Amino acid sequence: MDSLFAKADAIKPLNKKRRTDGRDSRPKPGPSKKPAAAPTADPTAASVSQHTALPRSLRPSSPPPEDAKKYGHIHNKKLRTTLTRQSTQNARSRLLVKDAELLLAEEAGLMEVEGEMEKTWRVGQDEVAAAAGQQGAQGRQEWKMDGGPYRTRYTRNGRHIAVVGKKGHVATFDWQTGTLHAELQLGETCRDITFLQDHSHFAVAQNKYVFIYDRDGVELHKLKSHIEPTRLEFLPYHWLLVSIGNPGYLKYQDTSTGQLVVEHRTKLGACQTMCQNPHNAVIHLGHQNGTVTLWTPNLPHPAVRLLAHMGPVASVSVDPSTGGRYMASAGEDGTVKVWDCRNWKGAVRTWNARGGSAELEWSQKGALAVATGGSVNVYAKPSIQTPFAPHVAPPLYLTHAVPHRPLTSVRFCPFQDVLSVAHAAGVSSILVPGAGEPNFDSAEADPFENKKARREREVKGLLDKIQPDAITLDPSFIGSLAPTPVLSTAVDGAHSIPYARLPRYERLRAAGKADETEEHLSADPADGTGAGVSTQSKAEKERNRMRGKNKSMKRFLRKQRKNVVDPRALAVKKSLEGAREARRKARALASGEEGPQKYSALDRFKRAS
Amino acid sequence: MVKISVLQHAPSTHLPARPGDPTPTSRNLDPLMHPFARARERTRALNAVKMERMFAKPFIASLEGHVDAVETMARKPETLDIVASGSWDGGLIVHDVSRRTRLLQIEDAHKGKVSGVCFGQDDRLLSCGVDRNIKLWDSHKGFEQDESAAGPSARKPISIFPGKTAFNSIDHHRYDPLFATGSNLVQVWDETKSAAISNLTLPTSTETVTAVRFNLAEASVLASIGSDRSFTLYDIRTGKAERRIIMQMRSNALSWSPTFPTTVLLASEDHNLYTFDIRALNTPTQIYKAHVAAVMSCDWSPTGLEFVSGGWDRTVRIWKEGAGTQPEVYHTKRMQRVTSTLYSGDSRFVLSGSDDGNVRIWKAHASDKLGIVTARERAAIEYRQGLKARWKGDAEVSKIARTRHLPRPVHKAAQLKREMLDAARVKEERRRKHTRAGENKPKAARKKVVIAEQS
Repeated sequence: MDSLFAKADAIKPLNKKRRTDGRDSRPKPGPSKKPAAAPTADPTAASVSQHTALPRSLRPSSPPPEDAKKYGHIHNKKLRTTLTRQSTQNARSRLLVKDAELLLAEEAGLMEVEGEMEKTWRVGQDEVAAAAGQQGAQGRQEWKMDGGPYRTRYTRNGRHIAVVGKKGHVATFDWQTGTLHAELQLGETCRDITFLQDHSHFAVAQNKYVFIYDRDGVELHKLKSHIEPTRLEFLPYHWLLVSIGNPGYLKYQDTSTGQLVVEHRTKLGACQTMCQNPHNAVIHLGHQNGTVTLWTPNLPHPAVRLLAHMGPVASVSVDPSTGGRYMASAGEDGTVKVWDCRNWKGAVRTWNARGGSAELEWSQKGALAVATGGSVNVYAKPSIQTPFAPHVAPPLYLTHAVPHRPLTSVRFCPFQDVLSVAHAAGVSSILVPGAGEPNFDSAEADPFENKKARREREVKGLLDKIQPDAITLDPSFIGSLAPTPVLSTAVDGAHSIPYARLPRYERLRAAGKADETEEHLSADPADGTGAGVSTQSKAEKERNRMRGKNKSMKRFLRKQRKNVVDPRALAVKKSLEGAREARRKARALASGEEGPQKYSALDRFKRAS
Repeated sequence: MVKISVLQHAPSTHLPARPGDPTPTSRNLDPLMHPFARARERTRALNAVKMERMFAKPFIASLEGHVDAVETMARKPETLDIVASGSWDGGLIVHDVSRRTRLLQIEDAHKGKVSGVCFGQDDRLLSCGVDRNIKLWDSHKGFEQDESAAGPSARKPISIFPGKTAFNSIDHHRYDPLFATGSNLVQVWDETKSAAISNLTLPTSTETVTAVRFNLAEASVLASIGSDRSFTLYDIRTGKAERRIIMQMRSNALSWSPTFPTTVLLASEDHNLYTFDIRALNTPTQIYKAHVAAVMSCDWSPTGLEFVSGGWDRTVRIWKEGAGTQPEVYHTKRMQRVTSTLYSGDSRFVLSGSDDGNVRIWKAHASDKLGIVTARERAAIEYRQGLKARWKGDAEVSKIARTRHLPRPVHKAAQLKREMLDAARVKEERRRKHTRAGENKPKAARKKVVIAEQS
């Protein structure tokens, strides 16, 4: 038997603690003195790894980075190991992300001036196109069409464009190669168009209903529940087609299942303005009475309601370059306002756009295009988002005059320095250097993808579809910690639940075994007065606080009440009296017996006590 | 002079150089380029855990051949899949599990049930029965002839060891030609001698020994459990009982951990399993609670990280060492009370023998894919496992991972049991509330298991 025990004692389990009821004579594991062995290179794995993608478990691991958190204060070995492993992994991936900046091979476009007197907005499109070279100049185009005022929309990878004219002319094409996918003359009023997950489907807001067409222009669906739609949006990660129309109903239709997910009555009448926040999939609506409302599918009322303009709202757009933090809105009254979506108290910046109501659009890199009257103005990033009180337009980055009024839509092409301006006589696309994100991610949107990759992306996108009720103003709430549950029957921290029925954490806390190290660590540096004070938790302090009258002080005084004149006792008595007097005064003031004492001119001579 | 440059993607870097080449991919890890990354990852985790449950098809095959309940099973040491099983009808079969064939079948090995079976050295097979005999068989001959020449009933044992009472269990020493049996006493036998060489029983004991097992690391240490609710440790070199504990309820099966020499697993009549560290026998190191009837058998995985148990509630459960709740649970419509369970030598499969006379083969991990797994597939599997581990705190994910659909009687029994335990606990709480403070203190469940310890 002893030899058996000796054998068992010699075994050091890797990461588990066996309870042996205190008779364990093994030495307590402390920080090991031996330096960690360097990861040995496995020759087999090395030979294989050149030719295959190794699964993670077989990959050689690099030594843990220096800045990984260690969690030395946690007693539970298993938990400590898990946390340490996680922090190591996080630190490692931070390093990898830093390394991955090497992958960003392409450079953004730019327009820079040298002297004070030169202005970028003086540069015309001819000059830009000449500087862009042959391939870059492809983006500068004029498409003359006679279907009335047009609207445009790009696919998420920026390769394809869809145009729709008021009189029913619809066309989708690859604007880089000039390949036409579909061209339809619908013969009725069309108000908006949007691509669905990619260029293989598009939806058109027509006179009465929304229709979905495939790439070749074959009508697939008539969405009869969307009545008189005016604007369409597609939420690509949720596969939701959102429409707003003249009846003022906001409708979400799931394009993967075909279900009408939800319809919200805005109660604000016909709506002509809609945009989505690409980072939290919240829909922004601009209304006739000047309000901008933010909607999610799971709330029957707007998540935010904002009185943005004194007249009808003409256009709304959200900045994708800052994670959806800024919103720009334009009113029929000619003002353009930039709002901070974290704090809706007042606009960050306001200015008057000449020429009445404006169309707005932010680019991927944060350039704001404002189309008013007969020209498009582009403003660059830092100045439009810095708070500035005067109603002055920010410094202009680029301007371009279009002779065909009205300008009905402006759209930046993703991953290109191209802005398409749709107007009464067709569409003209202009070059805006520095507007597009230079480095795309093939896993999200790839302008160069082939048919197979497109199909694969569609399937992957369907598998990763996020449920509509996960849309909230704060997209990071998924995966964040739930707040610590408060016991429902607790009154002033005391409850009548027996120990055995308490939740685990409460039981641990009652037994003094809960890990509250983090709280202590965070509490310690705050006061720093003494160790004895800081070790008491807030709840304990509250519990130990003397209720009612200050008994101990009275007891002290009673003991001192002998015929001994003690300066300490006198001081205490005096301060007690002072406190009592103050209380009395406060009571009298509250009950109205005494008015507050007026400061008289003679009070300045009063001796300071 | 204004400096102008316009963004251009060079097609040569983004398009395949030759037709047929893969399209080059590019990466941008800026989080703004990946909106909803967390929400999408959670969706993937949900899909992963759903897929795991969808592909959880643990049942592989059933090995027939016995007419009555399969009482005992033993794996041949140093093989993965040669398993002997003994049944209530007196039959004895050696299965080749991977080929699903019978290597040896002896129909009337014993009169009455075969109560114990184990492999000795050199392909020899030992079986004991309630007919008070131990028989030593040469299974090697059977491997070649495959029951064709002699016929299943005409096979003769190499030797017969007669005993005085019915035997309940047998186990072979790891190196020496010795074996131990449990009847109303624990005896040690030599393969070459026809009578027992020693009696190990405590003088005060009047029990029936239900199982004996040799320790795997220190081969001379023997453990037994008996009907007097005892668990006893012997050393066959000294020929004495070393330690004994009396427990609240009796144990039905016993298994030594293959990796940690002092850990022993007991399958108890009170629906629980217990692991003990024999250095401290006063409390179990862990209680494993999920069965809703007596646990009839248990066996460790060769890795020592998992073990399997079979119960009177017609379920097989697979536990992780140290995790006392929520085991994996297997059941089928036709499987009756599980009387014997066994892990395969590669710890990928589990065998269960039940009252209906079948030996069933199960996967040890229900959603494992059998067959060749490519590197790409393995990477995907590992990614899914990582997702599951990362999102296990999510309520929906953990609910899907945790939920098992049980047969109605098992489910009802579990409900009833929970209700009864709750009621007992409430009663205890009330009683404590109305007695003087500190008079009866709650006792941890672990401390209630062992009644007495002797050494």
